[in-house]
Amino acid sequence: MAYKDLREFLALLEKENQLVRIKEEVMPEPDLSAIGKSAPSIESAPAVFVEKIKGYKNSVALNVHGSWQNHALMLGLPKNTSIKEQFFALDEKWSKYPIKPVWVNKEQAPVKEVKITTDINLFDVLPLFRVNKYDGGFYISKALIVSKDPDDPDNLDKQNAGTYRIQVKGKDLVGIQPLPFHDIAIHLKKAEEKNQPLPIAICIGNDPVLNFMSSTPVEYAQSEYDFAGALKGEPIELTKSEQGNLDVPARSEIILEGYIIPRERKIEGPFGEFPGSYSGARLQPEVRIHTITHRTNPIFENLYLGMPWTEIDYLLALNTSLPLYRQLKRDFPEVVAVNAMYTHGMGVIVSTKSRFGGYGKAVAMRLLSTPHGMPYSKIVIIVDEFVDPFNLEQVMWALTTRVRVDKDVVTIPFAPGMPLDPSSEPAGMHTKLIIDATTPVAPDKARDTELLDVPKKTEFWLNYLKNIARSEVN
Amino acid sequence: MICPRCDSEKVNLLTKSPVGGAWEVYICETCCFSWRSTEDDDIKDPNKYDKRFKIDKDKISELDQIPPIPALLEEKN
Repeated sequence: MAYKDLREFLALLEKENQLVRIKEEVMPEPDLSAIGKSAPSIESAPAVFVEKIKGYKNSVALNVHGSWQNHALMLGLPKNTSIKEQFFALDEKWSKYPIKPVWVNKEQAPVKEVKITTDINLFDVLPLFRVNKYDGGFYISKALIVSKDPDDPDNLDKQNAGTYRIQVKGKDLVGIQPLPFHDIAIHLKKAEEKNQPLPIAICIGNDPVLNFMSSTPVEYAQSEYDFAGALKGEPIELTKSEQGNLDVPARSEIILEGYIIPRERKIEGPFGEFPGSYSGARLQPEVRIHTITHRTNPIFENLYLGMPWTEIDYLLALNTSLPLYRQLKRDFPEVVAVNAMYTHGMGVIVSTKSRFGGYGKAVAMRLLSTPHGMPYSKIVIIVDEFVDPFNLEQVMWALTTRVRVDKDVVTIPFAPGMPLDPSSEPAGMHTKLIIDATTPVAPDKARDTELLDVPKKTEFWLNYLKNIARSEVN
Repeated sequence: MICPRCDSEKVNLLTKSPVGGAWEVYICETCCFSWRSTEDDDIKDPNKYDKRFKIDKDKISELDQIPPIPALLEEKN
């Protein structure tokens, strides 16, 4: 892979004209969130490196994942690779799981260049800023958080690396949001049942593949590090945390080490969340930070999230789609592709061939019983195998011409829901919608219709026209 | 100083800017709201803070707990 860490990836983006630098000093508010909002809106949707922020020592990187071009470069593909091609390339890389990490000594780990254990002040290291106007404070919105299963601390597969929102609440105190269905909540529950603190490491400014995997809903006993290695085709370098025996990325920019204070909840939020609305204030756990390690001149990589699409949508797109695809494909080999790019899989489109009548509904029901689909997925559309689920015009064709509303539309009331979905009422419950837009097969039946054919020589002319168009651009 | 969000009087200086006395950040002990001295008045001024996001400090303890605190293991038996 062409990069080993965030710094090298930023250099790659710059070489590919996918990174811009802001050299003039900016204000923490409102400039940094306005930059984060703007970057994905321009055509190349570049990452932005902000060199100087008023009152702070260090620089900020924004929108690192926030375009299909950057996403392709992260996967080691040419930057103009289509979404569907990126999906299948990701699937191929996924098959290499697991590629186990390697451990380097603390002396060789760049993230250990500077170590702080006294007079900790997060603002000294992190150029913190308000992400959305009515957030309850300053948030670390793109960290990879490592924790272990307290009942099985040597099991590296059960060690979790996930992304959870972090609100700064003091010089050495932060709030965290472990939702009950997140892996870290399993660790926390086991620790709290014994009234024990849960050691965690909040890793900031990582290899972009690590952030990609920490946002991916893999199974409880699957290691995000092993997947990140698979995507890169080479092992991730880890090192040991200073306390708590955690395995942390050796090449991160900054790591905050601490522990979740057991059996206490304090007010956290609101925070502008990925569905494009604020999630309310709730009582959530807090983390006491006891150690910071960081590279020299560390880069604070953070994430702006606003009305979709912004950077977060690229971090919840193909990595939400692929695990669902894999889980469906295992039992339903006819499934061709899964597009779960909409609001972290709250909307999903599956293309599948139907083995027998009602197959589309069966595929949808399986999707709704996967670990991620159960709480998240609310609207499930099933289309035929020849419909590209990433092409919304084709999907609309399927909806308008295949669906008989009286038999193809099914709702399942009071099913598990995603609390951050504002339509989830009470929070955590919602009604599922299945739309089976596949063509009926026996014993189901439909009026006889024949699909239009593609003219002979279409492929020849498609390539011909593409080549002409390309040579005119150059 | 009064918290712009919950009107509590328990407000602390959280930090001064690491470089050049550019700003201060304050935090409310009651509702954990934090803000920077250089932000707009509709963030800093209790009278201008958007009413939709105001917090009633007497109702904080009634907010939902996420995740719920489990029973202690020894209590289970």
